[in-house]
Amino acid sequence: IRSKGSQEETAGTSNGLGGRNRSERACDMGDEDDTGAGPSAISDEDDDPTRRREIRSKYRDLINQVQQNREDMLNPANNKLTDVLEEANKLFANVRQAREAALDAQLLVLATDLGKEKASQLHAEGSAFDPSAFAEHLLSFMGLNRLEDESGQDGNLEGYLPQSAWQRLAKRSEYCFKTAPSFHYILGSFLAEPPPPRQRVERQRKAPSKEAKRMMPTQLKKMEESNQEATEREVERILGCLQKYFADDPEEPISYYEFVIDPNSFSRTVENIFHMSFLIRDGLVKMNLDKYGLPCIGKIKSTGHHFSCVCLNVLRDDMYYWCTIAPVEEGEVELGGAAVRNQCVISINQKSWRVSIL
Amino acid sequence: MSQRKRAVPASQSKTKRRSQVSLDEDDEDANFSQITSSQVQRARENFTSDQIDRKVAEVVQFILIKDQKKIPIRRADIGKHVIKEYKAIYIEIMNRVCRKFDQVFGLKLVEIDPKNHIYILINKLEPIHGEPVSMRPGNPKTGLLFVILSVIFMKGGVIKENLVWNTLKKLRVDPGEKHEEFGDVKKVVTDEFVRQKYLEYVKIPHTEPVEYEFRWGLRAEKEVSKLKLLKFVGELFDQDPQSWTQQFREASATETSSQRS
Repeated sequence: IRSKGSQEETAGTSNGLGGRNRSERACDMGDEDDTGAGPSAISDEDDDPTRRREIRSKYRDLINQVQQNREDMLNPANNKLTDVLEEANKLFANVRQAREAALDAQLLVLATDLGKEKASQLHAEGSAFDPSAFAEHLLSFMGLNRLEDESGQDGNLEGYLPQSAWQRLAKRSEYCFKTAPSFHYILGSFLAEPPPPRQRVERQRKAPSKEAKRMMPTQLKKMEESNQEATEREVERILGCLQKYFADDPEEPISYYEFVIDPNSFSRTVENIFHMSFLIRDGLVKMNLDKYGLPCIGKIKSTGHHFSCVCLNVLRDDMYYWCTIAPVEEGEVELGGAAVRNQCVISINQKSWRVSIL
Repeated sequence: MSQRKRAVPASQSKTKRRSQVSLDEDDEDANFSQITSSQVQRARENFTSDQIDRKVAEVVQFILIKDQKKIPIRRADIGKHVIKEYKAIYIEIMNRVCRKFDQVFGLKLVEIDPKNHIYILINKLEPIHGEPVSMRPGNPKTGLLFVILSVIFMKGGVIKENLVWNTLKKLRVDPGEKHEEFGDVKKVVTDEFVRQKYLEYVKIPHTEPVEYEFRWGLRAEKEVSKLKLLKFVGELFDQDPQSWTQQFREASATETSSQRS
């Protein structure tokens, strides 16, 4: 690439004191002296301090240029790097001594580093990748609410990024990782036995005696109906409550526990949980875990829900386990298309109820 | 086996002392390679199979706990803290440890640095799209790491640090300010992620003032699927991942080679 100047020229007139040839002089790294004291086998022309100073100054300019304008030099759209190298070539033609040559070497090192970087930026084929556009797409994915900006400015700090933004990205990004789940202790008891079979779903009378049976059918029917009606009425009432809260503040999720727990009555609390589960099953409200891992209730914005099972298992007299499968809002369906099912197991018994109302 | 301890003068700087310590541990690690077959034989005779079983379980537990912080585990540490006098049969122990991780936990113990004998645990099971990876809420740092790894990968494998900082700023994450979710972002990225070996943060030579560049770390190479990453990038851009031909080629090649291992 470089054309070395005619370094092999014979020296100018020597004054006879040990004819140091050019290559010896070139190795003389200790040559700091402008005036070239010592055996001056160096010709006056080569030793002209002014000239040398000029050369060194030009080199330093080039070096500065490269260092200060790094980004510019890397830009594939221009040839500034090549221009610098050509300048250096011209300068080098006049370099006679080590001090200037050292500067030349320094410049070359810088330039080659840049050259290497510039080359690595070239992708011979395929689409380009623009990190700014990437950032924009990420913001959209994370749920950025771009506000109308009347001033017409293209500020990229416009818009409201929801709190769950990074959570959202994390959940999707996880799929790219094969991370080993971290070891942690399971806190709490672990029932080793399988639950006993379902004992009852609703309060049912014992099989009536034959006598009473004749009358039973009509009476029982009425009981069942009124039971169901009562349940429906309760569920509707609760729905009404929730809708009122949502009307006041549609974005604010409601803490599930705060909502269902009745500080005055354990059995009422259990009934509330029971009725809530219908609302969730029917897709009228949504339930998810907040950032503390606690369940909360939110408003469903669109009708799209996916499942259907509510089952109540009474495991013991004082322990109720509920299993509900909560629907996912349409907007929250994972990019792959499949809906995410969340299961939430909530348990409550007299003891924990008492603790929770403290 | 007596441990050779080197006396470290107090006057030495902290950094110097650290390299001294790692030299000590390298010595201990070197002991692994000087085991003779007669030593192995003797060890097998000295220890009952129950004892060896217990040792295997201890190593498994040690690694599980070490993995919590996601900092790679050095073989020297396993030797020093757990295996100890069973060193002669460490190969047999480690083989059984690997098998336990594989069969009981569905995890893989992978040596990411064969020269320095450093291990990580990764999941043997690939996450399936549509099924949640875990029931716990996602760790926001995963998202942050994804962004950085993506930019590095899409830009050819090495980038200057400024590109990372500028991209993050557009996402409202400024390394100069304390962030709500990440705190000291610069520390998380250049210290935590680097120690976990998700990233490498390396000085660029001949830069004045000093600049650094980012690359994928040894852990990322094993734990992250370039193909899945590229697919997600494609989704974000609404573009076919194959349109980035070089990246797609590299991602596919890595995928097949890692499946073989």
